[in-house]
Amino acid sequence: MSNAADMINLLESKFGDRIQIKQGTLEAGAIIANNGLHYDVLKAMIEADEKTGITAITGLDLGDKLGVYYHVHTAKPFFTIKAEVPKADPKIKTVVDIHPGALFHELEVTDLLGVVFVGNELQGHFVLSENWPDGVYPLRKDVDATKVQLVPTPEREANKNAEGRQVKIIIGPQHPALLEPEKFSVTVDGEIVTKVEPRIGYVHRGIEKTAESRSYLKDTYLVERVCGICNPIHAYAFVSTVEKILKPAVPERAEYLRVIALELNRLHSHLLTLGHAGLEIGYETLFQYFWRDREPIMDLIELTSGNRVYGSLITVGGVRRDLNPEHIPKIKSVLEDFRKKMPFYRKLYQEEPTLRLRMKDVGVLTREDALKLSVVGPVARGSGVDMDIRKTQPYSAYDEIPFKQIVYTEGDTWARMNVRMDEVEESINIIEYAVDHLPSGPVRVEVPRSVPEGEAVSSVEAPRGELFYYVKSNGTDMPERVKIRTPTFANIPSFLKTAIGESIADVPSNFVSLDPCFSCTDR
Amino acid sequence: MIDLWLIFRILVFPGFTFILFLTLFCDWVERKLEARIQNRVGPMVAGPGGILQPLADFIKLLTKEDIEPRDTKKLVFRYAPLAAFSIMMFAMCFLPIDGASVISTGGFSGDLIIILAFATIANFLLFMAGWASANPYGTIGSARVLTQFLGYDIPLYLLALTPAFIAGSIQIATIASSFPYILLAPWAFILFIITMQAELEKDPFDVPHSESEVVGGLETEYTGAKLAFLHLTRDVQVVFGSALVVELFLGGPNGPVFFGLDWLFYTLWFVLKLLIVVVISEYITTVVARLRIDQVLTGNWKILLPAALLSLIAAVALATWVYHPFGIGMAVGV
Repeated sequence: MSNAADMINLLESKFGDRIQIKQGTLEAGAIIANNGLHYDVLKAMIEADEKTGITAITGLDLGDKLGVYYHVHTAKPFFTIKAEVPKADPKIKTVVDIHPGALFHELEVTDLLGVVFVGNELQGHFVLSENWPDGVYPLRKDVDATKVQLVPTPEREANKNAEGRQVKIIIGPQHPALLEPEKFSVTVDGEIVTKVEPRIGYVHRGIEKTAESRSYLKDTYLVERVCGICNPIHAYAFVSTVEKILKPAVPERAEYLRVIALELNRLHSHLLTLGHAGLEIGYETLFQYFWRDREPIMDLIELTSGNRVYGSLITVGGVRRDLNPEHIPKIKSVLEDFRKKMPFYRKLYQEEPTLRLRMKDVGVLTREDALKLSVVGPVARGSGVDMDIRKTQPYSAYDEIPFKQIVYTEGDTWARMNVRMDEVEESINIIEYAVDHLPSGPVRVEVPRSVPEGEAVSSVEAPRGELFYYVKSNGTDMPERVKIRTPTFANIPSFLKTAIGESIADVPSNFVSLDPCFSCTDR
Repeated sequence: MIDLWLIFRILVFPGFTFILFLTLFCDWVERKLEARIQNRVGPMVAGPGGILQPLADFIKLLTKEDIEPRDTKKLVFRYAPLAAFSIMMFAMCFLPIDGASVISTGGFSGDLIIILAFATIANFLLFMAGWASANPYGTIGSARVLTQFLGYDIPLYLLALTPAFIAGSIQIATIASSFPYILLAPWAFILFIITMQAELEKDPFDVPHSESEVVGGLETEYTGAKLAFLHLTRDVQVVFGSALVVELFLGGPNGPVFFGLDWLFYTLWFVLKLLIVVVISEYITTVVARLRIDQVLTGNWKILLPAALLSLIAAVALATWVYHPFGIGMAVGV
């Protein structure tokens, strides 16, 4: 089912006037379904379209009520199911039993807003620190984050290793295999993993809450700090939501420049991961080669945006910096140089025997599981799910630029890495096309500082997968609510599933194939 | 009477000091080679081309604070690294370096078996070191050491017997001086190098040191001087393994001698041949990924062990019906 009208008709015929459907708001439509109907609506949608999944769950403070918005993606159109619960008794039925991918999203809403999902209750904290007091929910409007009294660190449970041959290995928060702090308690029976328990939130910075007390202009820079590696896409996702409310006429040249910035970013991010995977499987030479060849790409990012990492190129109404025509030959020559090296790298990733031994049939995620868990990006495309947001819901200038959607069907680590390998080449093509077909004209329009009341969502394809932003404005120059759902947050559940039953030695290679970014996950 | 000459041979040349510096030199060669293959510069500050870097690292570790976790088995934790190092050094003393072994009269019929046994004991001591460190990573790392060397010792012994059988002797000096057996049994040379990679825990067999899985492996809890000796033991093992290849397959220290300086040229040939083996071994390490422990074991029992047996059978057959009747490869006096 790829048509929004079909889905709306189906829901109207099934639920009649028990639900309200507002067509056209929040992409395809907002479905208001209270009193537990959200569960039935979602079930009906999943039955009608196998690609239905939950992109994110936004919790909102609506005064005396709490809003729980289920952002649902289908094969093409994008819906939002809105449910509300009273603040005094914030209980709502969980949807984990019909869509397991909602697990992390529900736990996060519980931790940050205190909504209790009946059937999926949270023990302790999920993203907040252990020192955070119980019953204080930071995203509620009445909580002043500066006045929260932290509690002493609770007594640590003694390490219970027992139970026969089972040994608990703690991976993280500090571990050579993880470049960022996050904890995974892996229980192993001999060398076989039997259980994985994650604990995220070690670098939670409260960016969603911080964004509510800053102007839109400052927020653009703030959301870039969610992730160092993929920062332009965060800026773009935020800016595009704001632009959906403001509706400025963004010049076409700006859109092309945005695409160039985003694809350069994807290029360097993919090269980073392809090299890092080598490090995880003990292939240091691979790592050194990829990172050597990534450097010229970083130079291009510096050339086009002014900085190697944080270019802050994208802003509301356009981009901050035009492309100097004198730099175009340099961009092209660097990309051409890299294209010449591609056959070597591709052959290496496709055929090198020890690499295949370590990556083939490791961490296999079937297509059904990928759909059920709502995984995104290269992880989904490695499992045969053709969901590249650049194709399904084209944004910016992607609808004018020809490129291939890369899909592998094996579903293992090898497939996920090769999706990235092939996307590197597509990114080079896109940048070259965009540079060749750059429209002339201005690169930025003036926009008002205050944003009228409204709400918008934006789904974009970050290097690690679908990145989702929800922004609600209240007529001032500061947003009412900013919800960020990062790709790694959606992909971690797949790791919890695929790691079980495999060797502990496969954990790093399996995990790195998700291209995990914990800084994103924790926000 | 104190034999001053013997003491000099044991302590200085070609004994302890020489082997120690040879080890550090080989370490530098490995690091530099790996760096160049990976487009890096490698060590370059200490000494010309960074040649003193391994020594500097060793001395630096000696000066670091020595921490002993509370739950360790103190005796084993403290002395296993030192004992492993001593045994490896002792095993080195049986190898002919400047024409004769360190203790000139120390070689005896069957010393090939005893140095292989020493290598096994040293590995076992390393396992004990990790096991005593009361750390899950150390425990898993050392369990992997044990699994790996127990498996790979069998093909290693069988392959070491291949040249021994053609030579008709199990005395290293005799095997080394009779013929470069790489010419008579090239297949065994290739298999021996691969098995040696596994014995020395180098890529693609370095699962006990896989930092992304088991952090530091058996070294996780070690600091300071003990860690320095663990590292040194590994480096001596690498030299020992390469030296064994030289002695068994490349004719040991034998080569043309000029000006009557036989000890100098023997040492030179030995070091040159050793470097060739070190370079081959390091090259393999650099261009492959690390295997998984189950793949390592499958490779051992399903591929290397049958191959080693076939190699031995082939050597026996060739020696009996081809080489010996024509007087090729037979050690003198057999």
